[in-house]
Amino acid sequence: MKKTGKIWLFGLFSILLIFASACSKDTGSSEKPEKTDEGTKETVTLSIGSWRTEDTAGYAKVIEAFNKQYPDIKVEFKPSKNTEYNTILNTALQSGEGPDIFHLRPYAPGIALADAGYIEPLDGLEGLDAFPETALAASKGSDGKQYGVPLNMSTTQMFYNKKIFSDLGLEVPKTWDEFIALNEKIKKEGIIPIALGTKEGWLLSAAHGIIGPAHYGGNDFVEKITKGETDFKSAEFVNSIKAMDELKAYFPDNYEGLGMEDIRTLFFTGKAAMFPMGSWEIEVLRSMNPDLELGFFPMPSAVGKDATITAWVDGSFAVNANSKHKEEAKKFLQFLTTKEFGEPFTKEFKMISANPEVKSDDELVNSLSEAVSKISTPYMMVVYFAGGNPTSKATLELELQGMYLGQQTPEGVAGKVQENAETWYKPFQ
Amino acid sequence: MQTELNTETIKQMKQRKWKRWNIHLFPIPALVIYGLFIVYPLLAALSYSFFDWKGIKRGAFIGFDNYKDLFTLEPFSSMFWNAFWHNVLYFIVQMVVQNGLAFLLAFIIYQKIRGAEFFKIAYFLPRLLSVIVVGFLWKLIFNPNFGALNVLLGKFGLESLQEAWLGNTKTALMAIILVNCWFGLGFSVLIFLAGFQSIPRELIEAAKLDGANGFKMLTKILLPLMVPSIMIITVLTFIQSFEAFELVYAMQGSQGEPYRSTDTLAVYFYRLAFGGSSGDSTAIGLGSALAVVLFIFISTFTAILLKMMKKKEIEM
Repeated sequence: MKKTGKIWLFGLFSILLIFASACSKDTGSSEKPEKTDEGTKETVTLSIGSWRTEDTAGYAKVIEAFNKQYPDIKVEFKPSKNTEYNTILNTALQSGEGPDIFHLRPYAPGIALADAGYIEPLDGLEGLDAFPETALAASKGSDGKQYGVPLNMSTTQMFYNKKIFSDLGLEVPKTWDEFIALNEKIKKEGIIPIALGTKEGWLLSAAHGIIGPAHYGGNDFVEKITKGETDFKSAEFVNSIKAMDELKAYFPDNYEGLGMEDIRTLFFTGKAAMFPMGSWEIEVLRSMNPDLELGFFPMPSAVGKDATITAWVDGSFAVNANSKHKEEAKKFLQFLTTKEFGEPFTKEFKMISANPEVKSDDELVNSLSEAVSKISTPYMMVVYFAGGNPTSKATLELELQGMYLGQQTPEGVAGKVQENAETWYKPFQ
Repeated sequence: MQTELNTETIKQMKQRKWKRWNIHLFPIPALVIYGLFIVYPLLAALSYSFFDWKGIKRGAFIGFDNYKDLFTLEPFSSMFWNAFWHNVLYFIVQMVVQNGLAFLLAFIIYQKIRGAEFFKIAYFLPRLLSVIVVGFLWKLIFNPNFGALNVLLGKFGLESLQEAWLGNTKTALMAIILVNCWFGLGFSVLIFLAGFQSIPRELIEAAKLDGANGFKMLTKILLPLMVPSIMIITVLTFIQSFEAFELVYAMQGSQGEPYRSTDTLAVYFYRLAFGGSSGDSTAIGLGSALAVVLFIFISTFTAILLKMMKKKEIEM
C-alpha cells in the first residue's frame, strides 16, 4: 500500500514539475535549459529555419558546396510549412530558442523581428557590398543596421502564351492603349484575355502591383508617397484602381469565384492568353505543361513613362541573436554572398539572385533578371505598406474584392487604403 | 504482549489515516491535467488581454484598452459586429434547417419504416469525414466553372441560376452554413432518435386509446417529451455555431473572403492572434480580448440555456 502511495506521489510531483516549467517559460524568465550536449569542439552543428519546404533537396547541394570550404561546420536545413512558419519561428524566438540561422520575411515583418532584438546585426560582414541598396533595404533595421543577407528577388509581371500571340498575329504592347486593343482582339477570338480571379485577395494586390505602376507612374510616385508628398487619394493612385476595374471586362466568366488553382489552370491549358503573376510560378507552369511557350512583357505605361517590371526581395537569411554559434553562422551567411553560392542557387531554384553579378542558365530567368536591373519598380504594397493591423496591403486586397463585387467604388478603395495607412505610416502622420 | 498489541493498533490506525488521506490524492492527476490544459490557457489568455503587444513581445500593462479598441476602434469594431451577426445567422440556419430536418427524419425513422438502420447510417456518414475534407469536397462542388453544382444546373437548362457560389457575397456564407448542416445532420438525427426511443411505449399507447392521431400525437405528446433532446441539441448547436471556424477556413481562408462576407468570430480571432494569410502582423492583445469576450458570451448563454432546460424538465 505504502509503495503505491509513493509511486503516486512521485508521479504527482513529476507532473507538477512539468506544469511549473511550462509556467516559467511563459513569464519570459531568463532561465536557460540545462546544458545540452554541444558536441566536441571541432564540429559545430548549425540549423536553418525556412518556409521553403520545396527547396530541401536544393539546399542539400548548397550545404555540400559550403562544406567544401568549411568541413567542420555541419548545417541542417529544417524548413516548416509556409503558412505556419511565422508562428513557429516567432514562438521559438520568444522563448529564446529557434534555429541558428533563419529565413527572414522581407520588409516590415522581418524588420519587426530585428527591432525586437531577436536578430544579430551583420554590419561589417564581408560580401554585403555586392548587393544593391534596394536589396539590402529588405532587412535593414529601423536603427540603420543590416540584419539579413538578401537571397533572391521576386518579380511580378504579365506572363503571356507565345503560341496564342503568334497564332493571332499579336505583338507585345508598347502603350496602354495597345494593351487594351490587344485584350479586345483576344476576346473576340473567344480566348480569355487575362487569367485572373478575385476570390483570393492576394491575387488582387499582386495584379495591382503589376498594373498599378502603369497608371500612378512608377518610381516617381513611389518616391513621393514614401515622403508623404502625395497619398492614396491622389488622382494617380485612383486611376490605377480604375484601370483594375476596367480590366474586369477581360477576366474569365465567374471570375469572382476563381482562385489561384483555377486561373493557373486556365493559363497553362491555353484557355487564357495572359497571366499577371510572380516569377515563382515559372517552374510550376513549366511542370504543369512542359510544352507551354512562356513569355513575359513589362507593363506599358499609360502616362508616358517607361514600361515596368515589379520586383522586390523575397527573403533574406539572418542569424539568431540567441544562437550559441554566431561566428559559425556568420561564416555561412558570408558564404551566401559569394558567387560559389549564387550560381548553383539560381540553377537549382530558378530564381533571380539578389546579387546582380550572378547569372542563371535559364533564358527566361536571365531576361527577367536583366529587366529587373533596368526597369524595375518596387512592389509598393509589400515593400512600404505591409505594416498596420490589418495591413494596408490587406486593406487594398479586401476593398478591391469589394469593388469587383460591385460593393465599392475605385475612389472608395483608395479612401479606405489611405485611412488605414494614416493609422501607422509615419510620413502620413 | 500488551505493548505489542498497542503498536499493532497504532500501526493500523496510521495506515487507515494514510488511506483516508490517500483518497484525496486520486483526483489530483486529473486536476493537474485540467489545470494545465484548460484553466492555465484560459487564465493566460485573460492576462494577455490586459497587455500591449508589439508583435510577439509583451509590452506594458494597459488595463481594458484592448477591450475598448475591440468595440470602438475601426476597423476592429465593425469587423467584430460583422462576424457576430454571421455567427447569429449560422446558429439560426443550423437550428431551422439542420435540426428541423433532423427532427423530422428521426420521427420518420422512429416509425419503424423499412430500412431504418440504413437511413440512420446514411445520414451519419458525412460526420465520419474530416471537416477539412468536407470543405475541400464542397469547394470543388461549388466551383463556378467545372463544379458539379453548376454543371448540374446547366444540364437541366437552369443556366440563369448558376452562380460563383463561394465568390459572391450573397451566397458564400449561406453555402458554407448549408454544408455545415449537411455535415451535422446525422448527429442531430441520432440524438433525436435516441430521444424518441426513450419515450415509454405505454404512454404512446395510452394516448392512442385516447384518440390522439398522427399530428396531434406529434405536437401534444411527443414534442413535449422530446424537450430534453431538443435542449441538448440547441446547446450543442449554439456552442458549435459560435465557434464556427474549420469549415470557413477550409473553404474561404482566414480573411472571411469574399469581402468579409464569411467572417465569423473564430476566424476573426485567428486573424488577430496568428496574423492573416496576407502577412498581417499579429495582435495578440486584441486576439486574447476577443477570446475572453467569446468565452464569456458562450458560457453565459449556455448557462442560461441549461437553466431553461432544467426548468422544462421539472415541469414535465
